[in-house]
Amino acid sequence: MSRVNALVLTGYGLNCDLETAHAFERAGAQAHRVHINALIDGSVSLDQFQIMAFIGGFSWGDDHGAGVIQAVRMRTRIGERLTQFIEQGRLVIGICNGFQCLVNLGLLPGLDGDYTRRSVALTYNDCGNFRNDWVHLKMNTSSPCVFTKGMESIELPVRHGEGKFFTDNAIYQQLAANQQIVLRYALPDGRPARGVFPHNPNGSMDDIAGICDPTGRVFGLMPHPEAYNHWTNHPQWTRLKENLQRGLAEKPKGVVPGVRVFKNAVNYFID
Amino acid sequence: MPSRIEITLKPELLDAEGEGLRRKARDYFGVQVERVRTVHIVTIDAELSAEQLDKVRSEIFTNPVTQYSSLSPLNIDADWIFWVGFRPGVRDNAGATALEAIEDLLGVHLGKDESVYTSKRYCLKGALTQAEAHKIAAQLLANDIIQQWKIFSAADWDPEQGVGIIIPKVRLDRTPTLTKLSIDSDETLQRLSNERNLALNPNDIPVIRAYFLDPDVLNQRRQVGLSEPTDVELEYISQARSDHCNHNTFRGLFHYKDLSSGEEEKISSLFKTFIEQPTLALEKIKPWVVSVLWDNAGVGRFDDDHYYTITGETHNSPSNMEAYGGAITGIVGIYRDPLGTGLGSRLIMGSYGFCVGPRDYDGELKPHLHPRRLLDGVIEGVRDGGNKSGIPTPFGQVLFDHGYMGKCLVYVTALGIMPAKVKGQPAEQKTILPGDLVIMCGGRVGKDGIHGVTASSETFSEHTPAGHVQIGDPYTQKKMHDFLLEARDEGLIRFITDNGGGGLSSSVGESARFSNGCHIQLEKVPLKYAGLDQWEIWVSESQERMTIAIAPEHEQRFFELSAMHAVESTVIGRYTDTGKLHITYQGETCAYVDLDLLTAGFPQWQFYALWRSPEDRAMFEPVLREPRDHNALLLEMLARPNICSKAWVARQYDHEVQGTSVIKPLVGVGRDIHSDAAVLRPVLQSQRGLAFSQALLPFYSRIDAFHMTTCTIDEAVRRLIAVGGDPEHIGGVDNFCWPTIQYDPVGNPDGRFKAAQLVRSCKALREMCMAYGIPLLSGKDSMYVDGHLSGRFGETHKVSALESLQFSAVSVVPDITRCVTLDPKMAGDLIYVIGTTRNELGGSEYYDLFGEVGCQVPQVKPERFLRRYKVLSRAITEGLVASAHGIYRGGLGVHLAMKAMAGEIGLEVDLSAVRAENMRRNDELLYSESAGRLIVTINPDHRQRFENLFHGLSATCVGRVTGDNRLKIRGIDGRTIIDLTVPALKQAWQKPFGDLI
Repeated sequence: MSRVNALVLTGYGLNCDLETAHAFERAGAQAHRVHINALIDGSVSLDQFQIMAFIGGFSWGDDHGAGVIQAVRMRTRIGERLTQFIEQGRLVIGICNGFQCLVNLGLLPGLDGDYTRRSVALTYNDCGNFRNDWVHLKMNTSSPCVFTKGMESIELPVRHGEGKFFTDNAIYQQLAANQQIVLRYALPDGRPARGVFPHNPNGSMDDIAGICDPTGRVFGLMPHPEAYNHWTNHPQWTRLKENLQRGLAEKPKGVVPGVRVFKNAVNYFID
Repeated sequence: MPSRIEITLKPELLDAEGEGLRRKARDYFGVQVERVRTVHIVTIDAELSAEQLDKVRSEIFTNPVTQYSSLSPLNIDADWIFWVGFRPGVRDNAGATALEAIEDLLGVHLGKDESVYTSKRYCLKGALTQAEAHKIAAQLLANDIIQQWKIFSAADWDPEQGVGIIIPKVRLDRTPTLTKLSIDSDETLQRLSNERNLALNPNDIPVIRAYFLDPDVLNQRRQVGLSEPTDVELEYISQARSDHCNHNTFRGLFHYKDLSSGEEEKISSLFKTFIEQPTLALEKIKPWVVSVLWDNAGVGRFDDDHYYTITGETHNSPSNMEAYGGAITGIVGIYRDPLGTGLGSRLIMGSYGFCVGPRDYDGELKPHLHPRRLLDGVIEGVRDGGNKSGIPTPFGQVLFDHGYMGKCLVYVTALGIMPAKVKGQPAEQKTILPGDLVIMCGGRVGKDGIHGVTASSETFSEHTPAGHVQIGDPYTQKKMHDFLLEARDEGLIRFITDNGGGGLSSSVGESARFSNGCHIQLEKVPLKYAGLDQWEIWVSESQERMTIAIAPEHEQRFFELSAMHAVESTVIGRYTDTGKLHITYQGETCAYVDLDLLTAGFPQWQFYALWRSPEDRAMFEPVLREPRDHNALLLEMLARPNICSKAWVARQYDHEVQGTSVIKPLVGVGRDIHSDAAVLRPVLQSQRGLAFSQALLPFYSRIDAFHMTTCTIDEAVRRLIAVGGDPEHIGGVDNFCWPTIQYDPVGNPDGRFKAAQLVRSCKALREMCMAYGIPLLSGKDSMYVDGHLSGRFGETHKVSALESLQFSAVSVVPDITRCVTLDPKMAGDLIYVIGTTRNELGGSEYYDLFGEVGCQVPQVKPERFLRRYKVLSRAITEGLVASAHGIYRGGLGVHLAMKAMAGEIGLEVDLSAVRAENMRRNDELLYSESAGRLIVTINPDHRQRFENLFHGLSATCVGRVTGDNRLKIRGIDGRTIIDLTVPALKQAWQKPFGDLI
């Protein structure tokens, strides 16, 4: 069987391309880094890909709202090709700046199959600054999200200045009812963060860190699973190492948790 | 007709920016503001239809979920309104991306006279006086150097007009003019140099005149239509001869005399003697050294297929004037150096070092920016510059001292990685052939940055031209970075270098030596706006530009790729082999100079350096008796500004982008203690790592810059060893920041002493590099770290920085899974102190607490220390060490506390077991800053193996890790003198800056 092809978008200030491609490769996919303009001018076609990743970074410097200008350019030039890609049953993941872009494109939350409407936002962190720290996340196991299948919780780094999820009450109710709220910031023991900084690092409503579309095939999240591609990325790995050496812990099985998010996507086409 | 869009957050959303301003007004000035709302203003100076305007307003500039907007002023209730916008010609990054987005959305191209500008207005509620309002606007929001601002009271505010439509457009209604300058006498040229701010050294003037008066030269010049030198030529010479570019101080002749011993010596070139010579010697015996001493950054071997590149510099003068702009320009600028090394390397990390005056300074001197505001600005500048470049910033330091009130220090360091070979050719090598195209790539040229180099070669005063302050643009540079690496991989690049200080004048002037000549057509250089004189185009330091040489046959492909990446590239001339720097503007010759002019004939600068030992300077140990309350003392030490937590800085820097993070800047159970060093895994497919650390200990310069230097280098090395670095592979980067050393009986009466300090520092640098085997992969010097500050009565005071050396050290870690962090892991583990503690409290944080300096500064015994480090490295590699941490500023007491806090675990330590020489007191044992020491914890099962390894190397077991979350220290007589819980330690340590985010 031929390998699953994943497209990793690059250019215009995006910057997580190498590690996102690496995470896809670790997950068994063939990753291709493709410049936004190569998609626009048609020199690379979306048809050859099963998964498309909108990655982290500062597209156009994020000067007018994170992910906004990237969304304008992509909607204007290749908006229809993007919605087709989704409607053909393929997968889209947006991480950090990519998530911001997806909500500005309207690919998320995609309520009622409308992939053009901007109805949720990721706005300035309540703490007033960019922040890089690790957070505990709880997965909604009832969500249709393909990327988090079989996962209950994960620790990942956040690195953003505009990650506060916001929408009006009506949209929020719909998201909750559709199980589109995939990821929530949590306390270390797994209970909800309930907005408490720094566990909820940005003041997101209902601790929301990631959502999917109603089909579960389009997923956006602020934390960076691709930055947890090796067990030494975890902030406590030297403690784990010491426990392993003394026989006090068991070696974690399977792929690194961050890579598992990508592996779920790849498996979706293999299973 | 110009138009304006005002955008703001919906009222139900928290305005974090406004809230930040409200908090600062309260915390910094005690001014109570009830509420601040921020309005973003986009001013469009272009002919757009009403329909087009509404489209860009709603689709680009307004988020329908969170914002609302209008083409007329928004009605927001306020008692005061502040407007802040850029001055004409200042880089407006958001304006530039707005323009790009508008063109993209509407499918139009705006004309060259059309543009987009961004500004902000802040709507404040609160009963402020006029004076309070002015203070907030002037001291928190706007900096006159780059910004214009207005204050409106509610009564002044016209809701129809709002702030009006303000267009900060540069208008230079002039035809570019080439000026010829008379050189009829030395005096004339000196006068012209002063008038034009050329900063020519008086000793250079006869040499310059002799060249232009030489009959052969005159004859050759006549053939291209020139006689007297042009302004382009003199500007070129001025730039190239500046201390910043030519390092005249470090290449100078030093007459050094030790007045205490009577010894005298003459040293020709500190650079050659103390930096180049040891590095060349080490290059021969260290096979991992790939390329040093000539390129934009040094190159070391990472593995068989990859090389790393490293360099560091400072951006002090601009940051002192405009903290944000100076710092962002600094970090983005240093990132161009690895990009311009060899055939180009990809950036993998950056680091920072900020030295400023006391953050809570409330004395009489009036610096241009208060240290608190300055620090806020430089932190934000490096944050945006690093984060938006997609380059992790996993290490850095912040240091406070009154001496940095005159001029702050902003150190920036960058590391990159390159493939060992590009299309089969060695990637670290490059050259230029005659006929190659000269390409300028990236940003455009404006008046910004003109005379930056000469300004940084002067002491700061009220006459320093503000024009050299710029704002870096990481977005434009990131696009260029991605493009150039792709061009490199396709084998399109023959030569690459960055445009930094001196602009094209430096980058083209220096690269032309590879082919021995060039012909530049200045009219081809793309400009931000018309009206620049030729010399301005030539020396402008406008940012985000690289100069590249390509073979003519690659032109088409290079420009295709450039267009795909939305990067502007322009052929501005050709390299030649004529021996001449030949510049024309629309066919007219503006410069025709022999390239070798700069390498021949200029006189060496001379310095007199007089040293007096600390004893001869009447420095003594203070007479102190041992304190009784050791608990309170330790808590006080932990809360010292130079010891306490600076986690708030590290957290706003993205230190994990690229997915390479192994040892982060903050470690431990609570992820809140500063780690000894950073470790990265720059090649994701490999388990090899790169460890990086820095040290900065200027305090010891109060006693002797020799020991300042040895201690600084030892600390940087020890930091690497503590995380698992390889002692056989340590590369160094030296960054000197020194006050003016040129003696002047009135202006700089202690110049000769400061010169002696520099000589001693350089001697120590060589000694340490040879002893530890550290080739200096890169380095820079920044002199003139002095400022003149006004006092209470209008008098001015010269404030000089401490003699400062930042030393960066890099090492390769063969297997990252062997790395260790500083947090003790398990109760029951044994605690060892490695190294000997001596009565060396001179210059210590402990003495400083009491306002004392003392005399007995820590001494490094490099051979002895290195043996220790090698054994520790082996112990770490063999997995015997559970945690390791160096003992740095603040001494054993402070660093035991760091370990307890990192592990959130108890420690029981017996001071009588600490190996010490001539020590009889607990305070001395706890706070001496003797070099060469570390604290490690080990699994008791490893005790025998560990002690066998360290046999005879002064490692003694001083206690054990306990489960009770307390730091307990027994004094020499066996009584418990310190007993503090970890939360109490953390509370003290985090108190000064713990509320900052």
